[in-house]
Amino acid sequence: MNIALDHVTVRFQDRPVLTNVSVTLTENRIGVIGDNGSGKSTFARLLNGLLIPDTGAVLVNGVSTKTDGKEVRRQVGFLFQNPDNQIVMPTVAEDLALGLKPQRLESEDRDQKVAKMLERFGLSHLADRSAHLLSGGEKQLVALAGVMIAEPDIVVCDEPTTLLDQRNAAIVMSVIGSLPCPVITVTHHVEQLAGFDRVLVLADGKVVFDGNPKTALSFYKDSLA
Amino acid sequence: MIAGLYVPGESPLHRLDVGVKLLVLMALGIGLILTKSVLLLILVVAVTGLLFAFAAELGLMRLWQTTRPLLIWFVFIAVAQILVANAETAGLIVLRLAVLVWAAALVTYTTRLSDMMECLIRIIGWLSPLGVPPHRVAFMIALTIRLIPALSDVVQDVRDAQRARGIENSIIASVVPVLTRVFQQADAMSEALEARGYERWDDQRNNAP
Repeated sequence: MNIALDHVTVRFQDRPVLTNVSVTLTENRIGVIGDNGSGKSTFARLLNGLLIPDTGAVLVNGVSTKTDGKEVRRQVGFLFQNPDNQIVMPTVAEDLALGLKPQRLESEDRDQKVAKMLERFGLSHLADRSAHLLSGGEKQLVALAGVMIAEPDIVVCDEPTTLLDQRNAAIVMSVIGSLPCPVITVTHHVEQLAGFDRVLVLADGKVVFDGNPKTALSFYKDSLA
Repeated sequence: MIAGLYVPGESPLHRLDVGVKLLVLMALGIGLILTKSVLLLILVVAVTGLLFAFAAELGLMRLWQTTRPLLIWFVFIAVAQILVANAETAGLIVLRLAVLVWAAALVTYTTRLSDMMECLIRIIGWLSPLGVPPHRVAFMIALTIRLIPALSDVVQDVRDAQRARGIENSIIASVVPVLTRVFQQADAMSEALEARGYERWDDQRNNAP
């Protein structure tokens, strides 16, 4: 993985949300923490081209989010905070199958892939259930399975456990931790970042710390004091 | 609460091709209009009910749940027809409606939305040269059906919040928060669709042979 942010600035209605951010992300597990309004979600949305910077550039494995957003989104899967907005089809299996559309598979191959992915995430028993009626934790796992079935090279998770209780949050984080591809996780639950390779701390739209989790967490906690 | 339309199952009606189901539904609709016999309609109602409850394994309870919200309309229509025409006409119309509602529900309960979408794409595929995108139309319908329960939840949440503040059954007080949340949800969902590569689904279709 190589995601490079080069002097990136984002403004919403003249209010700077991110200011002159330059970082290169290459590690397998990267965490991003910061208070509400620090620019975390904006940072995450830049990484798969959902947002285009006002100035500067974002390159994902050499591909610019500005000029080839589609290719960037093919490479970078995105897990949102609220799975209700991410799950599109009525049943779990149908929603996963939707992510396979670009591959134009025969229905047998598609169903096999869906079944395999459901099994991998321990969701096989929910295949025909209405996604709308699942628990929060189950919905988030379905949303993650929907991301993974498209076989992204990188996954960005934007506060994936904010709406979950502790037990479900632990389950979702454990599944995210086991993903085979590089993962960038935005959160304000600092304890979830233990074991990560690198942690960025954002404040007022700037990267105010960039280093190993242990030092980053104590920096973040000190800044709260 | 509307929880989604498809009811998982392995019955013969679940396995029946969706195109056949839709054709039978269409033929039934035409046949119902042409039929003038109350006795024949009673027979069709009975057969449809049996297919619904037993052949499709959906049960009598679901048949009742499907019918209950419409009972008041059936009564209203029957009374109106008796007043302006006669009891036989009222019977004909109510029986026709009952069969249509049950048959349509039978198709939707036993058919996955994705299968329905594929069939719809085949049916309206011939409109492609006229600039009608079949995949988009099918997806739009699927998304609409998916959002019915979500919208119902938003309305319920807002009503609960209003009642907690002592505002009972005020439509005006509910309109703004409901609309705000619906628009926010629509924004979030369109962003999620973009993140899931919806534009690539389009490309694949456009490049399809």
